[in-house]
Amino acid sequence: MASVDTDIASRRPAVYRGLRWMATHRSITIGGFLIGIIVLAAIFAPLIAPADPYVQDLLATMEPPSLAHPFGTDDNGRDIFARVIFGARISLAEVVLAVGLAVLVGVPLGILSGMSGRYVDQAIMWTMDILFAFPGIVLAILIVSVLGSSLINLLIAIAIFSVPVYARLSRNLTLGLKGMDYVEAAVSLGISRRRIMSHYILRNAIGPIIVQSTLTAGTVILSAASLSFLGLGAQPPLPEWGAMMSDGRNYLGLNIWMSLFPGLAIMITVLGFNILGDGLRDLLDPRK
Amino acid sequence: MKAYITKKLLALPLILIGVSLLVFVAIRALPGDPARLMAGPEATQEAVDNMTVRLGLDRSLPAQYASFAYGAVRGDLGISIKSKLPVVAEIAERLPFTIGLAITAYLIAIGIGVPAGMIAAIYRHGWPDQFVMILAIAGASIANFWLALMAMNTFSVQLGWLPLLGAASWKSFILPSITLAVLPTAVIARMTRSSMIEVMSQDYIRTAYAKGVLPRNIYWSHALRNALLPIITIVGLNFGSLMGGAVVTESVFNWPGIGRFLVDAVRYRDYPVIQGVTLVAVTGVVVINFLAEMLIAFLNPKIRFD
Amino acid sequence: MTMFLRSRHFALACAVAGGLVFPITVNAATLNVMQTEAPRSMDPGDQTATYTAALLDPMYEGLVKRDPDLSLKPALATEWSADASGLVWTFKLRPGVKFHDGTAFDADAVVKNFARHLDTKRGLAASGRLRTFLEGVTAVDPMTVQFKLKTQYPAFIALLTTGPCLMVSPTADAAGTIGSKAVGTGPYKLQEYKSGEYVIQAKNTDWWGSAPKGEDQIKWTWTAEPSVMNMALQTGDADVINPFPAAFAAQVKANPEMKLSTTDGSAVFWVSLNTKLKPLDDVRVRQALNYATDRDGIVKAFMNGYATPANSPLAPVTPGYDKTLNPYPYNVEKAKQLLKEAGYPDGFAMSTIVQEQESRIGELLQAMWAKAGVKLEVRKMEGGVWSKAAFQDPAGKEKDNIGSSIASWSSGVNGADLQFRPLYYTKSASPAGANLGFFSDAKLDELIDKAASTLDEKARNAIYVDAQKVVNEQAPHVLLYTKQDLFATRASVKGTWVIPGGLIVVKDAKKQ
Repeated sequence: MASVDTDIASRRPAVYRGLRWMATHRSITIGGFLIGIIVLAAIFAPLIAPADPYVQDLLATMEPPSLAHPFGTDDNGRDIFARVIFGARISLAEVVLAVGLAVLVGVPLGILSGMSGRYVDQAIMWTMDILFAFPGIVLAILIVSVLGSSLINLLIAIAIFSVPVYARLSRNLTLGLKGMDYVEAAVSLGISRRRIMSHYILRNAIGPIIVQSTLTAGTVILSAASLSFLGLGAQPPLPEWGAMMSDGRNYLGLNIWMSLFPGLAIMITVLGFNILGDGLRDLLDPRK
Repeated sequence: MKAYITKKLLALPLILIGVSLLVFVAIRALPGDPARLMAGPEATQEAVDNMTVRLGLDRSLPAQYASFAYGAVRGDLGISIKSKLPVVAEIAERLPFTIGLAITAYLIAIGIGVPAGMIAAIYRHGWPDQFVMILAIAGASIANFWLALMAMNTFSVQLGWLPLLGAASWKSFILPSITLAVLPTAVIARMTRSSMIEVMSQDYIRTAYAKGVLPRNIYWSHALRNALLPIITIVGLNFGSLMGGAVVTESVFNWPGIGRFLVDAVRYRDYPVIQGVTLVAVTGVVVINFLAEMLIAFLNPKIRFD
Repeated sequence: MTMFLRSRHFALACAVAGGLVFPITVNAATLNVMQTEAPRSMDPGDQTATYTAALLDPMYEGLVKRDPDLSLKPALATEWSADASGLVWTFKLRPGVKFHDGTAFDADAVVKNFARHLDTKRGLAASGRLRTFLEGVTAVDPMTVQFKLKTQYPAFIALLTTGPCLMVSPTADAAGTIGSKAVGTGPYKLQEYKSGEYVIQAKNTDWWGSAPKGEDQIKWTWTAEPSVMNMALQTGDADVINPFPAAFAAQVKANPEMKLSTTDGSAVFWVSLNTKLKPLDDVRVRQALNYATDRDGIVKAFMNGYATPANSPLAPVTPGYDKTLNPYPYNVEKAKQLLKEAGYPDGFAMSTIVQEQESRIGELLQAMWAKAGVKLEVRKMEGGVWSKAAFQDPAGKEKDNIGSSIASWSSGVNGADLQFRPLYYTKSASPAGANLGFFSDAKLDELIDKAASTLDEKARNAIYVDAQKVVNEQAPHVLLYTKQDLFATRASVKGTWVIPGGLIVVKDAKKQ
């Protein structure tokens, strides 16, 4: 029971140290705060939202913000605030799926490329260069036009154009780490290549990959919103932020709320990821 | 230097072949019979058969790719399903609008981004630096179509100063080009700042200070000249993302360029157009990236992109 | 030196950017008309779209034309008569008429114009409605033609004013250029067609009907964006907007510089239910969907009130319309009960395909039908893609699991047969016609045929009342509303009018 005392004793310095850490790592604090808000909104959406994001009220369409509807209502009389809040779930799911897929494909490819000899390396890098040559949106449009317009297909498309980023990053990291003494030592000890890849290289590459993922998250949200705005992604009635703005654009000059609030939500989220990414890079990425 | 250029020069056609292969395969992976798609919904079986032969779909895949690539090299990208006009002619009609928009956007981005980055570097850690950097990160986080909608609402709908859409006069240029310029401005400002900071810590700049050269002259003639290289890099290498931005911007503003053409083609499932525009846009990006790399390698033999 | 170089580059870049982009602006007296969609063809016989027909109207003429009071008047024919059987019609052609390309308008041209529609290999988009009743057209002498009909057809003369019966230059048709370069006989001729941007028409000084009354030029542009249409009218960039987006109607009404025209339209909007697909083959299920639909809500939310909830498959302006028919009331309980009787107490899932501009109807229905337990999947499509999906045969629709299609049909004032036959007749089942749900009812077919060959108007309309009752009862469609035709002009524009269904006529319009 002595530990109770130590807990109390150490609390103040811990808080103090925490605050100090936050003051010196302002980017991480601010970015983390913004993302924290979005994550909380997504988790507690049903509690926060005053209404069901899908329920229409045809007697109350396109109302300006009021106490009952903090962000107003859309053309089908749905509560915009509720839709923006539920939209956070969609956007975060977009990030997890697209980034996750890109990492799962890109990182092993990059490490394989870095570990392997000339031909495998060149073949992989040639493929990556080709994908990289496409402007992301153009490649996504090409893929969506083949697979059909839906949110899932769109995320696959975004993941595909993000793969080369991870492949290049992890290949460069691998090449750098390969020359390190302890990796060379492991090789000379006869440790299998697979083990070297997973235990030595991957472990050391995690920092930069997290940094890259945070920065990619912003791109994912912007791309998904852009393509949904163009009608090539999320389909009605999903409260995807880009798709919501696409509806709002029909009423420009009549009702600005339908486009204003989803756009602000996108900006806060992407800003959060970008600031957080900058901060994490200073902290985690040894290459800097 | 020579080896580097040779290597890059050899890689260029390889990348272009890969790009065309990818586009070719993607279009062939579509569900349904391309001949029927291209012949149109009311086509008779005879017309579909003719189209099959015309498209060469009765031949083997490698043969098909060879003739597709041969056609593309000669400037034959097929016929649009929707307009029934040659895709190349349709692209040629729209390409100047996209290029015009891209050039204007880059001029704006350089005109604002470079001075802003310089100011941030000169007043490093001061409030101008923080101000510029906050704007830069916000600029990189904004959805450009949202910005476009807000700008249209303010300047076209509410104030009535600028046209809402199209490319009818020079005024039509203002909103689309500014919208498109936001992201490159942010990137260029950050890049200029960091390379200026690096340059200003170099010995010869310190020497210049010591000799009593006016700070203004140092910034403009010494520091900027050396910081220009990374700026060229960014401009060249970011051409792809500018093209991506153009797709969205053109669609919002009904701009008659190839970006909106591509989006319309997807909605209409006009596959020859999707194929053609993608090919042209990506080739443009690849070639411009290549030229930027060459220019930099030429100006500064020490830089490599690997 | 550096400065000089830099500014020269800047100037050069500006010149390139500027010179490449600014198109030549149109001067002179130009009437600017903006519509919602691009023309689908420059050939009036190869399209069935109202707004394309409106754009082509100043350039093409038929043997007969409609006047602003909607009466039928001679145009390229000066007089006509039928024999006692009502099957052989003889037309005297107007002498001295030339197509814009110099080709003479004569009996030969008329014969070729109809032959191309009767030729099944051509596959022109508008041929269908002619083939149902037209046997053939022959030249009697260079200025006289004779039409032979398969059956009596009351709407025959009215049909001569529509797309497939407008005269295109046989020279241009033979050359295969008519689809992109319009050549007709009308008071305006095509000056420029930029497929992505605009169509410019110039006065045809050689027109047979003396000097055209309208402006020197008509420039047509189009946009799918309602806000852009509204803006264009506000700023004066457009003189005429057709159709005007209902959401912005209040703004125009409040502004004395603009004029909003609302007239009863003929376009009936509906959801065609796929009667070959379970459970929609059960009439109780189809009726349930009708009960689950809040028509007033849709009219208010989607049309801002500029529409009439549908009580009949016919529009109020269509001859034979019966205003005493009762529409399905909005009654979710009744819908649930019917679904229960049909064996779906927990509802079911189905899909609908809808064009982009009407996708909100799908969203509204999605929420309404959900209350009755029906889960509606809305598939939004571009117009051309929608047509391909909607006009599939039963097997195709089953494969794609297309349960219903949202669309509208407008037969204008050309007779109820043009509404009933394409939409509900057994033989019109898609892909042959617009019976998109493959509805088949022997009694209805009989009524449609009987009405079509009944020349006495009163007797014919009585049959159509019975036909309307059958459609309401059998519910092959969820009937939604009849749209009002909304168009808006600057207050200074005089002389525009609209044929019910939204076909705006601007060839006589003047800016004052």
